[in-house]
Amino acid sequence: MAKLILLLLKCILLCGTVYAVFEDQVGKFDWRQQYVGKVRFCHFDAHMQSSKKVLLATESNVFAALNTRTGEVLWRHVDKTGPEGNIDAFLQNGQDAVLVVGNGRFLRSWETNIGGLNWEAVLDSGSFQSACLIGQQGTVKNVAVLKKTAISLHYLSNGHQKWIENLPDSDTVDYQTVYSGGNSEVYVLGVVPHSHIAIVAFSGDDGEILQQSSVEAPWLSSIPESCQMVDQDLLICVDSTTMSLYTLDLKLQLQLNQIPLQSLELEVDPDFRPSLVSHQPNPAKQPRSEFFLQLAPDHYVLLQFNNGQLVVLRDFKPALLVSFATTGEKTVAAVMSPKNKTVAPSSQASSINLFNAETGRRLLDTTLIFTMDPNGGKPEKLNVQAFLKKDDSVGYRVMVQTKDHTLTFLQQPGRVLWTREEALSDVLTMEMVDLPLTGTQAELEGEFGKKTDGLMSMVFKRLSSQLILLQAWVAHLWKLFYDARKPRSQVKNDISMENLSRDEFNLQKMMVMVTASGKLFGIDSKTGGILWKHYLENIPSNAAFKLMVQRTTAHFPHPPQCTLLIKDKDTGLASLHVFNPIYGKMSHVSPPALPQPILQSLMLPFMDQDYAKVLLLIDDQYKVSAFPSTKYVLQQLQEMASSIFFFLVDSNQGRLSGYRLRTDLSTEQIWEVALPTETQKIVSVKGKKPNEHVHSQGRVMGDRSVLYKYLNPNLLAVVTESTDLHQERSFVGIILIDGVTGRIIHEAVQRKARGPVHVVHSENWVVYEYWSTKSRRNEFSVIELYEGMELYNSTAFSSLDRPLVPQVLQQSYIFPSSISTMEATLTEKGITSRHLLIGLPSGGILSLPKMFLDPRRPEMASEQSREENLIPYAPELMIRTEWFVNYNQTVSRVRGIYTAPSGLESTCLVVAYGLDIYHTRVYPSKQFDVLKDDYDYMLISSVLLALFFATMISKRLAEVKLLNRAWR
Amino acid sequence: MSFVEKMSLSWLIVLAAIVAVRGFTDSDPGPGAAAATPLGGDRFKIEGRAIVPGVKAQDWVSTARVLVDGEDYVGFLRTDGGFSVNDVPSGSYVVEVVTPSYRFEPVRVDITSKGKMRARMVNYIKTSEVIRQPYPLQIRSSGPHSYFMKRETWGWTDFLMNPMVMMMVLPLLIIVLLPKVVNTNDPEMRKEMEQSMNMLNPNPELPDVSELMTKLFSGSKGSSKASSSKGTRPAVKRR
Repeated sequence: MAKLILLLLKCILLCGTVYAVFEDQVGKFDWRQQYVGKVRFCHFDAHMQSSKKVLLATESNVFAALNTRTGEVLWRHVDKTGPEGNIDAFLQNGQDAVLVVGNGRFLRSWETNIGGLNWEAVLDSGSFQSACLIGQQGTVKNVAVLKKTAISLHYLSNGHQKWIENLPDSDTVDYQTVYSGGNSEVYVLGVVPHSHIAIVAFSGDDGEILQQSSVEAPWLSSIPESCQMVDQDLLICVDSTTMSLYTLDLKLQLQLNQIPLQSLELEVDPDFRPSLVSHQPNPAKQPRSEFFLQLAPDHYVLLQFNNGQLVVLRDFKPALLVSFATTGEKTVAAVMSPKNKTVAPSSQASSINLFNAETGRRLLDTTLIFTMDPNGGKPEKLNVQAFLKKDDSVGYRVMVQTKDHTLTFLQQPGRVLWTREEALSDVLTMEMVDLPLTGTQAELEGEFGKKTDGLMSMVFKRLSSQLILLQAWVAHLWKLFYDARKPRSQVKNDISMENLSRDEFNLQKMMVMVTASGKLFGIDSKTGGILWKHYLENIPSNAAFKLMVQRTTAHFPHPPQCTLLIKDKDTGLASLHVFNPIYGKMSHVSPPALPQPILQSLMLPFMDQDYAKVLLLIDDQYKVSAFPSTKYVLQQLQEMASSIFFFLVDSNQGRLSGYRLRTDLSTEQIWEVALPTETQKIVSVKGKKPNEHVHSQGRVMGDRSVLYKYLNPNLLAVVTESTDLHQERSFVGIILIDGVTGRIIHEAVQRKARGPVHVVHSENWVVYEYWSTKSRRNEFSVIELYEGMELYNSTAFSSLDRPLVPQVLQQSYIFPSSISTMEATLTEKGITSRHLLIGLPSGGILSLPKMFLDPRRPEMASEQSREENLIPYAPELMIRTEWFVNYNQTVSRVRGIYTAPSGLESTCLVVAYGLDIYHTRVYPSKQFDVLKDDYDYMLISSVLLALFFATMISKRLAEVKLLNRAWR
Repeated sequence: MSFVEKMSLSWLIVLAAIVAVRGFTDSDPGPGAAAATPLGGDRFKIEGRAIVPGVKAQDWVSTARVLVDGEDYVGFLRTDGGFSVNDVPSGSYVVEVVTPSYRFEPVRVDITSKGKMRARMVNYIKTSEVIRQPYPLQIRSSGPHSYFMKRETWGWTDFLMNPMVMMMVLPLLIIVLLPKVVNTNDPEMRKEMEQSMNMLNPNPELPDVSELMTKLFSGSKGSSKASSSKGTRPAVKRR
């Protein structure tokens, strides 16, 4: 009984000592940025004049509302990734937003004020084509969804189906568009490519086919691309081969009426496919009779239908983007045009003007200047929020979408209200780089460098540097005093390029982030402010990135240098981008051209004479090239070639192979491990982090003997999954291979398990997580490797000389949630105990002490295990919300967690990225090397003062007493 | 004749019972579960309602999601707190309502290949254990999440209740108060005390700490009061 109580006590104590956040630490050293992804559909909430909301549906399957004043997310709904959560269409009606999701599988209606769901309806299967709102007598009551073979009408109030009708001849006709012009008729337009247009008119009340006809149109292949609805049920199409506009009245449906563009004195740019932009402000009413015709990439024409006649209202050249907007009864056209015609349009300001849509006249005082970011992309889309001013004139704000996924919200005359870098919703890889020393710090460091000077000059130098320090300190004090008077909000964001410098404990770093869109960011880790950005154009859509720090900031005056390897996944062709990670500037070092596909890249630990680490690239001919490739480097490479090994993984053929470098920079295969691809496939290969330090070589056991760790820096953890996914036969395998010799150290198979497998490989342990199909739960398994009670060669580790097979211990646990990603904490010297940081689908980031994942946890607690601080084995690991490092700041769709050591041994910097970005510090063994931030200075000083006074008083009393005694 | 009829009727009942039992066999862990069925099979709907007592659903549904087996299937909450996750094939799932503000217990939902549903408690260790829960799901929040540790605050009571402080303060009180309670002027009493002291103190040579303390304190009192009897005692010893 006593033992049990003791055990319980111990458990409580252990649980109590692990890290948690205190409430007053909220926002002190952590920050979160929420993103929504690249915008696909955008609607300004217009049902109320004073609304401050913009609704966005994005390519990341996110539906969100932003505050138009600040650009912050009001609410956000994150759906499944992939095609099942894909948003196909977005229709807005009053305060309801109707979304078609998952290739027409779901119809959802959202209440946009509170961000809750009104209803969700499941539609019949079939590939989605188009959707539109159906209005009748000025009110919108239904929504029509067009599928490949059927059309259905649903009530907007509850999502119930009103009717569904099959489309006639759907095997030959490709139905593409559904349209309603405000009366109860619903038109479905289809096309038989290069033959005719099929038009079916349904009655909106009961789905009865009112009319069905076909019109010859041999030039037409796609209706959404070349046609638009204007005016009263009028279909207008443009064709580039015949250089004509075609109109068709859907009511009469006689034949296409051809209007040659030449008759309007217009000309289409050669090799340009002209397109149309029309506008239907209210789905219950007919579309506007005005529309834009794009004739060239920078040429638009505003046209109008006036009593069956086409009139050119205005010619816009050059014009980059156009858009319509309606407020009240007024409709305006916004046109963005480059401001200066002579310079290339990508690198300068452009102006946006409003034009009256009915007359084409320019509205006075509506010019808005949009200055393009030279490090950003070209504008792609213009979203205009028009509103009526008090004097009944039209005012407006615009949201400009650019190619680099940036949203810029502007108001007149060009004031940027906010910008959002939506590229950051898709961070692929990142690195943290130390900030440079300031001039004074560098001077101090430099003082210790050279010792050739005489005594006097050294004394003088010492004094002068101390003086500089004093000066800096006084300036700092003055700044503190000055800032104290300012409101807090102003003080916060004054970090800029100029005052970037390393802090005392190296807690502030530069986060270099690489996003899928090809935009690079430099983010200050203290505030989360973006300090630089650089948009790389012409990045293939399926590119893989690898970011490497070649030179850190430690080698003043050489600038730090990062190298980004961009590789096209299909062709294997790669390119290098070399830049300064602190300022984001392109380096003057020109990277080598890489004509051959690249298989593998590796950073060598040695540096060239400019302190840049050497990057080796292996191409598909197994030839090695070095970057930088100076004479010195090549010479060094020749000397070291015999000790450079690398491995290649071919997951398609299930082959792992090891190579050795020859002195002539060719390679030689030394080992190969083949895994049969019929039964299993390689899903991931994990080595150890090169910047990881292990402090203790072994573990002290309960009987004071030492169990030495097997610390092989070349160890690879290879995870395989079975190709057979039947739950009885599926398995997950893990193989530990020495990367130099190809020797298989250990192999473990988890039967009745399947992926996704998440692995962390560090020190002498591998932790992996898988789904157990047998028990339908997530399980963690930990493998630890030990050399035994004595070390074979304690001075240096060599893969080639290790005759003994390590002892392998393994234990598994139940985890009550699935996980998104997993990483281990990392500290400067590796003294601090390790935690696992686990990203959960709920958005929490759990900090789980590695202590709980220890294969030496005994089933029954013994005296010795208690001595060793081992927790008795329990099958289930707990998720305690106190262990969430990000408390309620959830991170959606965590893709990766990056950990970096700081200057303090106790502190590890953590960045979680996914749809959101979250940065914080964690203290796995609490803050043992600095005073805690709740350190009670008041108590200590008051106790000291009290003691001081007590001694004074008692001294006085003692003196009085002595005097009295002497008198006696 | 009637007997045979009865027999067949009872058979029917037994058969029906077997069918009812069969309906749930594939929800148990082990062979024959629905994961093996092809994806083209029937899809079902998990329905339920999440309730936070005392809080209107409108105030929290915008941050909430319903996750089925991690992020395999996702549902959203309606403005009244109700939810439905559509397009779920038959099988056994853990349904969870997640929101950063409130805590909800997960529920395991079993769906047979015919679309029969049942809800039960999640038990990862004994996976076949069935503790039924209502279906359609009624998930009631057990309160807000507790993310933060409490700071160790410093108060006077903590200080006073500290065992070390208690150990210091109590003897002090005894030392100060005892001389007042016990009349030390009585010579008999004093003799008795000295005797007992000697008994306790085996080595009279060593200076006794407690005695010193009493002397010091009574001495200081004596000096301030200038009482003759108290003041004389140490003076006598000095001589």
